Amino acid sequence: MAPRWSRIAPQLALTPALAVTAVAFVGSIGWTVYLSFTRSRRLPDYEIDWSEWGRQYDRLFRDAGWEISLRNLVVLGLGSALAIVFGFILAAMIDKEKRGESFFRTVFLYPLAVSLIVTGAAWRWIFNPTLGAQSFLRGLGWQVDFNWLAQPDTAMYAIILASVWQSAGFYMALMLAGLKGINSEIWSAARLDGVPLWRVYVEIIIPMMKFTFITCAILLSLGVIKAYDVVVAMTNGGPGQSTWVPAYFTINALSAKSNLGYASTAAVMMLAITFVVFIPLVALTAWQQRKREAAR
Amino acid sequence: MSQISVSERAAGAGEVPVSRAPVFARLRKRITPQSIAVLVFLGMCALFFCIPLYVVVVTSFKTMDQIREGAIFALPQVWSLEAWDHAWNRACSGIRCDGLKVGFWNSVAILFPSLILSIALSMVTGYALALWNVRWAGTFLFVLFICAFVPFQIIMYPLIVMTTTLKVYGTLWGVALIHAILAMPVLTLIFRNYYKDIPTEIMSAAIMDSGSFWRIFFEIIVPMSGNILIVILILQITSIWNDYLIGVTFGGLAGQPMTVNLANLITISTGTTNYAHNMAAALLTAIPPLVVYFLVGKLFVQGVTAGAIKG
Repeated sequence: MAPRWSRIAPQLALTPALAVTAVAFVGSIGWTVYLSFTRSRRLPDYEIDWSEWGRQYDRLFRDAGWEISLRNLVVLGLGSALAIVFGFILAAMIDKEKRGESFFRTVFLYPLAVSLIVTGAAWRWIFNPTLGAQSFLRGLGWQVDFNWLAQPDTAMYAIILASVWQSAGFYMALMLAGLKGINSEIWSAARLDGVPLWRVYVEIIIPMMKFTFITCAILLSLGVIKAYDVVVAMTNGGPGQSTWVPAYFTINALSAKSNLGYASTAAVMMLAITFVVFIPLVALTAWQQRKREAAR
Repeated sequence: MSQISVSERAAGAGEVPVSRAPVFARLRKRITPQSIAVLVFLGMCALFFCIPLYVVVVTSFKTMDQIREGAIFALPQVWSLEAWDHAWNRACSGIRCDGLKVGFWNSVAILFPSLILSIALSMVTGYALALWNVRWAGTFLFVLFICAFVPFQIIMYPLIVMTTTLKVYGTLWGVALIHAILAMPVLTLIFRNYYKDIPTEIMSAAIMDSGSFWRIFFEIIVPMSGNILIVILILQITSIWNDYLIGVTFGGLAGQPMTVNLANLITISTGTTNYAHNMAAALLTAIPPLVVYFLVGKLFVQGVTAGAIKG
């Protein structure tokens, strides 16, 4: 039997983390949720008018800027999903070829090491209409329109391109780890049976890597909901409101519009979106994991 | 999660002799057309990935006169260090024009305290949760798991109020503190997953040996944590250095990290934009994490995936 103080020490050691969780996370979430029901503007106003407690939400759902943000969130999510596809293709090729594996891995992964502000700065410069890639390509005689950042309907695609560039290597690394875990006998078996390579991938490998794909999907949606830096660096929300995303909307409501209650409402909606996306994905992961453990 | 990945790795290791048997490799020494096609495709992708870095590097050495000619992919006619000097010493961020060196040293001053604080806090917490019978450990882990997913915006305003009350808002310490707090859930889960694989025999023996909570921690656990510490260090160094949102929210005017200076430089530009200056500034901001990346290579992958996969 361990002495009594050694049972108290672990509890004491947990106190700072418990305090941080209780105050900075749980308490703060509650605080923001509460504020979202108040009429707070620049300064917090802790009175809730119960007759119209949901007025901030009503206003938010009618706000054109919020609607744009939500639409952009979906566009960004779908567009960034290309990074997973691209990452898988790269990983499959690297895994099959094996020559130059470490070189390619190094090249594909380096964008992840730099800040999204740097990524944004670099792509913003490449997208420069008069001095950037557009003028270079036109100089070669190609009449391309590469001025995406200045046009409301294409600015989002530029942000997607930069995000895919930044994160494809990361998904490649995850996929490569998943591919390495696949039993090599499958390849020889498929070769003996004369199954074409693409069918091996579509019908055997991808279903076997479900777990990796779900992990990638969780990480991707997490990144998409948090996307803020890349928007600031590339367009700062413009032109107009065309590249607003919920994260940008929320911070803009707090800092530029000084509307605390409204910003809290948008933040609560961000939390709700996170949960709506995550609960199914996390549950799916847990289910897959349990199935795997049962199979073993 | 970590159990599975360990067993996957073990399974993969077992298969290596089969899949990479030298016999087969020697037999198929000739490069097939198929692998030429694959290598060409991979090479083109690699080229695409290098374009932004190449463009940033060459632009940063150009003079503004050459940039105005519009050949973005051309090498500099004269390799000029003027832009680097300007970005480091004189570039404007807001109303101050002291260059990015201010932000660089701010970032350094943010990095070290928040590294120490976040690692110390989450290491002890992870250790207590993994190896000691504490009450409500499961519930606490679940709450931490949820906290790891929560978007920053939902806790932003309360944290601003708290840091203002503590009089650290707008200082480097405030930014460092917030980094440590926000990293705590994820790091705790990583440490906990690492420590829970320590055999219970070691712990029982240590307790028998009249080891107290802290003695076991410092004499057994810390020396065993080398690998995970390196992974966490890489994860934290890159994420703290590359952070923009926390820096811009809590740094005020006095505590701005380098990324905030850079963002100010590239977004709020009055008059004609000097792209050479901007690109030199971007490169200066990118160099520290890139150095870490090229130094540690493979461990970097582990660092970022550890941060990502968590639970």
